Amino acid sequence: MVSIALQRTRSIANGRLGSLLLLLALCVVLVVVGQRVLSGGLSFFIQILVFGLANGAIYGLVALGYTMVYGIIELINFAHGDLVTLGAFIGLAFFPIFGLVEGKDLGLIGVAALAAVFLIAMLLTGGINVLIERVAYRPLRNSPRLAPLITAVGMSFVLQGIMYLWKGAFQIHVPDILPGSRIPLGPGASVGVKDLIVIAIAVVLVIGLNLFIDRTRLGKAMRATAQDRDAAQLMGIDINRTIAATFFIGAVLAASAGMIRGLYFNTVNFSDGYQLGLFAFTAAVFGGIGNIQGAALGGLFIGLVKAYGDAYFSSAWTDVYVFAILILVLVFRPSGLLGMRVPEK
Amino acid sequence: MNWLSRSKPIVLVVAATLGAFACGGGGGGGSSTSTNKGTIAIGIDLPESGAEASNGVPTMAGVKFAVDQKKSIKGFTLSTVNFDDAVNGVHDPQKGAQNVNQMLANADVLGMVGPFNSNVARAEIPITNQAGLVMVSPANTNECLTRDYDYCDPKASGLRPSGQANNYFRVAATDDHQGPAMADYAYDQLKATTLAVGSDNETYGKGIADNFAKEYLKKGGKIEVRQDYPGMKNVSDFRSFLTSAKSKNAAGVYFGGTDSNKVCVVRSQMKGIFPASTPFMGGDGVVTSQCLNDAADNAVDMYGTVAAVDASHTPEAKSTIDAFKKANPNATDYGAYTVPAYAATQAIFEAVSMAIDSNNGNKPSRKQVRDAMAKVKNLKTPIGTISFDKYGDVQPQIITVYHAKAPSGTDQANAPACNTNNSVCWVFEKSVNYSGGA
Repeated sequence: MVSIALQRTRSIANGRLGSLLLLLALCVVLVVVGQRVLSGGLSFFIQILVFGLANGAIYGLVALGYTMVYGIIELINFAHGDLVTLGAFIGLAFFPIFGLVEGKDLGLIGVAALAAVFLIAMLLTGGINVLIERVAYRPLRNSPRLAPLITAVGMSFVLQGIMYLWKGAFQIHVPDILPGSRIPLGPGASVGVKDLIVIAIAVVLVIGLNLFIDRTRLGKAMRATAQDRDAAQLMGIDINRTIAATFFIGAVLAASAGMIRGLYFNTVNFSDGYQLGLFAFTAAVFGGIGNIQGAALGGLFIGLVKAYGDAYFSSAWTDVYVFAILILVLVFRPSGLLGMRVPEK
Repeated sequence: MNWLSRSKPIVLVVAATLGAFACGGGGGGGSSTSTNKGTIAIGIDLPESGAEASNGVPTMAGVKFAVDQKKSIKGFTLSTVNFDDAVNGVHDPQKGAQNVNQMLANADVLGMVGPFNSNVARAEIPITNQAGLVMVSPANTNECLTRDYDYCDPKASGLRPSGQANNYFRVAATDDHQGPAMADYAYDQLKATTLAVGSDNETYGKGIADNFAKEYLKKGGKIEVRQDYPGMKNVSDFRSFLTSAKSKNAAGVYFGGTDSNKVCVVRSQMKGIFPASTPFMGGDGVVTSQCLNDAADNAVDMYGTVAAVDASHTPEAKSTIDAFKKANPNATDYGAYTVPAYAATQAIFEAVSMAIDSNNGNKPSRKQVRDAMAKVKNLKTPIGTISFDKYGDVQPQIITVYHAKAPSGTDQANAPACNTNNSVCWVFEKSVNYSGGA
């Protein structure tokens, strides 16, 4: 009895001490951050907020693909980041065909052409991902988890290799065709039309995806498959088609993210997908893997932390901030900010 | 060049056969000048594939051209043994180390030209120093490869743990002159008194940015923002850095690093944050066509230094360049380091020739060539009359400043690089002699 009581008091003390220390650390961090933010001025803060949101929108779009695939077959699709780059590469190939060149005002025809290029890149990348699923993941669906994980890593290198052979090792310039005008937000801060376009496209896609999964038959089939594959099959759902559709949609989002990213930063490199994928995956885990809103939220969070880290502290440490916060969140909420939507198995 | 690379295996076989004969008949000590006494090979180690082929291939062509012209030294036939130190298209120190080990296994290799990148040299020098193989780099600029400055890590002596005599020489000037040269130019010519400084955090990029900053502060300039990006190849958004630079009234940006690390993407992202005419400055890592392509419609008004003379403004170089361009007619065959590579090869020829003499006309050892190289003085080359100081650094130390702008007249023909549609070129601005020390 005594020993149990002793243990209890000790654990409470430990807990209190732990949270006290944590609180203290948080206070120090807040003071340091606050000081930097105040000395930087409000308009600078707003300017960085704009960058962070636009970056976060891109991370969010990529994170959706990770979260969807994980939700449905519990595979961490390491090749997903490279689909983003592939989408940009495919889009880039169609730019000159549709007359999209730098230094020309976009106009109505240009917008239509750009939309067509987006569509082509999204459909082709989607098709390629369905093919990848058919060749590399489906045969391994009932093997131990590690097997498809490793094929995913392998596919990542295969995709990178193909892009390397296609366009070479150097970063490729993506024509700067989005309007460059900026809307002033006060002294020294402005939001670019480009930033707004990126954020708007991402928001539309996320809402669209949500509606699709909640309202359509295929969306329902996806949810059912994610919940219990065998039961879904018994109910007459074509599992193979549902999973293929998931890969298709994931890749469509990846390709759109790749195109947006290319148009936004005006540069793309065959190996960009690795780092981008890593952070997008982190975003998905952060928000709660398998959870669509969580992925979008996680992406925004990472975009903001990276932008503010770069702006107020050294960019050398930006990744450390991101992962430090991630660890903290996961320690207290192991299933991510919004919780997992993956059923227990 | 195609012809050369295709015939390489044959050349090697012939060389090996000749080498075997030479070993057999070495005792004869032939006095006749026409007899072939064997083969002496020049090793080449440069990044020749992928992103950096545009650096390495024209440089390699310079070496091969020098060998083709010279053909033989005192009865020894000259040949080249070529290695690529790029892995996945990017220069790789480990691959470089592996390459020099392969060179060392070939007894004919008495000297090497290369490497191109300072971090590759850092991996190679300890190996070649041990073996006494002389290396002459046409392009390495990091000063810590030859000098023991306090801030160097590792120091030059740390790269030569065997305690052997120095075997590393270079015909490029060093970053402790290249950085300050741009600082002088920025402060005196461009009249920029407040700047932001960044780097790709590599040996070369961070080093040259530090050297720039040191001189710029000394002159009275102010550096408001400093940002180093480790793993910069994977960073795509530099606007936080640029926005804070702008908010602190920086009148320009100096960025140390190489184009393969996206340094010139930083320039393209200045659009919308800085006015178009704001200067963007860098070292020789940005004086490339890739850099102009990355900067795209914001390429004009970048400034870059090169740690060498501008061959097109050096009268001695003209005949060599003309002959080279006749033998290698493709525009991509010629690069900023073709002529320096030619000069580096000439320096090895000179050392080999001296070593043969001191070895009574016989094939010298690697260490004899190395010792002879330290004595090379006032050698006439297309980059001027050069000597090496006791550290292995070239004298005189000449830095050339280039300005990215629309070419006019002969600018395009003389430029070290232009963008894809030739609308912007690196145009010669001026050359400065920093031999007095900075």
